[in-house]
Amino acid sequence: MKIIEILTNIDRRIIYLILLIVVVLPLIFPSVEKVRVMPPVEKLYYAIDTIPPEKAVIVDFDYEPQTAPELDPMGFAILRHVFKRRIKLLVLSLYVQPLGLAQNALTQVIEEFNSAAKTNADSIIYGRDYVFLGWVPPPIIPILGMGESITGVYTVDYYGNQTDTLPLMEEITNYNDVGLLVSLSGSDIPKYWIAYAQSRFGLPVGAGITAVSASEFYPYLQTGQFSGMLVGMKGGAEYEEMVERTLKIKSRRKASEALLSLTYAHIVMILFIVIGNIGYFAKRRKK
Amino acid sequence: MKRTFPLILVFVFGILGIIPFFVPHPVVQNADEFLRNEFLRILVAFALVLGLGSLLKVHIDKIKRKRENWQYSWILIISFLISAIIGLFGGVGGTGILPTTIGSFQFDIWTIYWNVVMPLGSTMFALLAFFMASAAYRAFRARSTEATLLLAAAFVVMLGVLPLGDRISPHLPSFAQWIMDVPNVAGQRGILFGVALGALATALKIILGIERSWLGGGRE
Amino acid sequence: MIFILLCALMALAPPSKVRAYDTPNDGGGSVTIEWQISPDDKELIGYQIYRSEDGEIYEKVGFIGPGRTRIEDETQDGPEYIYKVAAVQDTIRSYSDPSPPVMSRAHLVDRTKTNVFVSLLVFGAIILYFTYAARKGKEMFIRKIAGLQAVDDAVGRATEMGKPILYCPGIGYIEDIATIASLNILGEVAKKCAQYDTKLINPNRDPIVYTVAREIIKESYSSVGRPDSFDPDNVYYVTDSQFAYAAALDGVMIRERPATNFLVGWFRAESLILAETGASTGAIQIAGTDQVSQLPFFVTACDYTLIGEELYAASAYISKEPLLLGAIKGEDWGKFFIGIVLIIASIIGLLTTFPILGLFR
Repeated sequence: MKIIEILTNIDRRIIYLILLIVVVLPLIFPSVEKVRVMPPVEKLYYAIDTIPPEKAVIVDFDYEPQTAPELDPMGFAILRHVFKRRIKLLVLSLYVQPLGLAQNALTQVIEEFNSAAKTNADSIIYGRDYVFLGWVPPPIIPILGMGESITGVYTVDYYGNQTDTLPLMEEITNYNDVGLLVSLSGSDIPKYWIAYAQSRFGLPVGAGITAVSASEFYPYLQTGQFSGMLVGMKGGAEYEEMVERTLKIKSRRKASEALLSLTYAHIVMILFIVIGNIGYFAKRRKK
Repeated sequence: MKRTFPLILVFVFGILGIIPFFVPHPVVQNADEFLRNEFLRILVAFALVLGLGSLLKVHIDKIKRKRENWQYSWILIISFLISAIIGLFGGVGGTGILPTTIGSFQFDIWTIYWNVVMPLGSTMFALLAFFMASAAYRAFRARSTEATLLLAAAFVVMLGVLPLGDRISPHLPSFAQWIMDVPNVAGQRGILFGVALGALATALKIILGIERSWLGGGRE
Repeated sequence: MIFILLCALMALAPPSKVRAYDTPNDGGGSVTIEWQISPDDKELIGYQIYRSEDGEIYEKVGFIGPGRTRIEDETQDGPEYIYKVAAVQDTIRSYSDPSPPVMSRAHLVDRTKTNVFVSLLVFGAIILYFTYAARKGKEMFIRKIAGLQAVDDAVGRATEMGKPILYCPGIGYIEDIATIASLNILGEVAKKCAQYDTKLINPNRDPIVYTVAREIIKESYSSVGRPDSFDPDNVYYVTDSQFAYAAALDGVMIRERPATNFLVGWFRAESLILAETGASTGAIQIAGTDQVSQLPFFVTACDYTLIGEELYAASAYISKEPLLLGAIKGEDWGKFFIGIVLIIASIIGLLTTFPILGLFR
């Protein structure tokens, strides 16, 4: 039968075209996909939310442009959360490449807040509310060194200012003044923070990771070494959901918008697999 | 001698590579560090020159003989020369002897990296989504019981990671997670054990001269 | 008197039982300091570690968070050091008694790796025994590996169709075992190509792998008496950028339309890009990798896949060299032995905690 032939031999270009349409259309006409927030994401949210006012949160941006679509939304959502709650923030990176991405995230989120601010007190001011520490080589030395003194490791910040002259750094000395560190990474970096900062100094650590590497990090969540974990696009969407629901921050939810593309792409793949199998069984029966 | 000398070299350097794992003494560790960080880097630098020489030779030859698609060889050679000159003489942050700024327009090596290399790499990476779809359509057939089980697990995991999965059944995401955490990890561990032992055996065979295919040609 | 008593009650308790010793199994330059935490540990911001050479002047050498009882200090080998640990609360310091003097030195052997060394000897001995047995003429059975059975057919197919063979040794470096295994297979494939006068294209991602591959192919052509057939322009270095290399290989596949693709070695995300492009050109594809995360892509998109250690056995399988087959046999018996040990240890671990299990930590 001709239909069986068609089912088993769909031109791959048709598959690519259909996939392109279902992936791109939700991005052109974005709509936010509501998600149920899972416990690992909730844990991280409340770990940040319950940081005492005298302590800071450190966000470690350690991903490259290839994984930015998955991890950028997490970074944005966490920054919005931190700035809304007026939690002291330190931002750093253990490698050079992600610095641009960290800078980009800070600039965009701060612009959102400052454009709506009416007074100086409402604004996000560099040096008072947050410090961008930048990068110091190699990766392990700053992790260990910050246990004793953060300004000792990062003597100048990303912009070249002496860190010990910044008002925020007068209150934050070392990990004892840090309530949580969140590591956003497409590789093994969160494990370094556990191995060196948590085991030596008791620093609580949370993670934002890509979906592909999730299975190797779940053991750390199970043992409680991670105070929470965001996994892939869905994890980012869940955090955006929490931020919007609890803090009433209305902003662009990139992960939630992209989730629709992801959903449709998966459905399309499942459909094609089913179609292929229908054709296969029909052919087999015919024989 | 032509085949004996490389075998002796491999044996000596193979043993020199194993010893530092068991001997922490600084004399041994420093020698190992020298071999890995300095000696090897020098080798790589020379090999890179050879490799680049080969690449240029192939494409220059293609242009000379006007072989099929010889025009693209020009694009390669021009791109190669531009990147090399800017990288070598322009410095990393525009700090070299070659000026890499005209007004507000920068063309240093970072500009090339961020505006050319990264987008092209991301584009190739994005192809994976399409290729996964076509590969899945072509290959995922329930030909046998095992294949059917595999298909079912794939559907569960693909739906479980989506909000849709949660709507289908609140247990689906947890079941998907269990598949990733238990059977998947168990299978991976089995393969990893075999790979680790196979790698050890292959290394031993090469060091002891039992495996000689890497020398090329037949056994003497 | 009451004032002194009050002061004594409010004083910060220092850490106790400070013990310093030469860090074992290292190359020297390190002393390990251990202590018992202060009873006031919960109020501390941490512990500071002080070091002296004469017992008079101390310098601060380390800091660690509360609840911790151990730290390693970088030292020079030779001089003797004395350590004190101070409990720290804001600006208050409470110092322990000094430790006895200690000197660091380099150790010749890392005893913590004794179990690895013994395992290496045992495993090596098993391989050597079977290699020796093979040399004596003992028949060694090796099961069929479909991917390797197909190599001859794959090369023959390319010859009949008058199309080239594409060989990709992966994106690994020369020190990766998968790359070495791939180059071993390349030697065998190159010999067959030389015999049948089939064009072999071998683009490489690493310059060292390129130089080794070129020599292997050249030697293989010479060994079958066809040195003039070797075309050095068919073996070349492309780029060390992962996706640029994948793009280059895709271009070769689309333009040259090889009849057979060998994708054997160490791969990452580009594996599916290569395999699917090759499948779209109608080529027979034989893949092999030890990267567990890439195996599903190869299994889906390629005709034959060598999984994990099948890749390492390939050179023995194709060449049918008795010594190599003997080594494979030894490897299998070694795995069997480890499997038995794992099962026994798991049962023991489930039933009881057994001190002997500490050997395997």
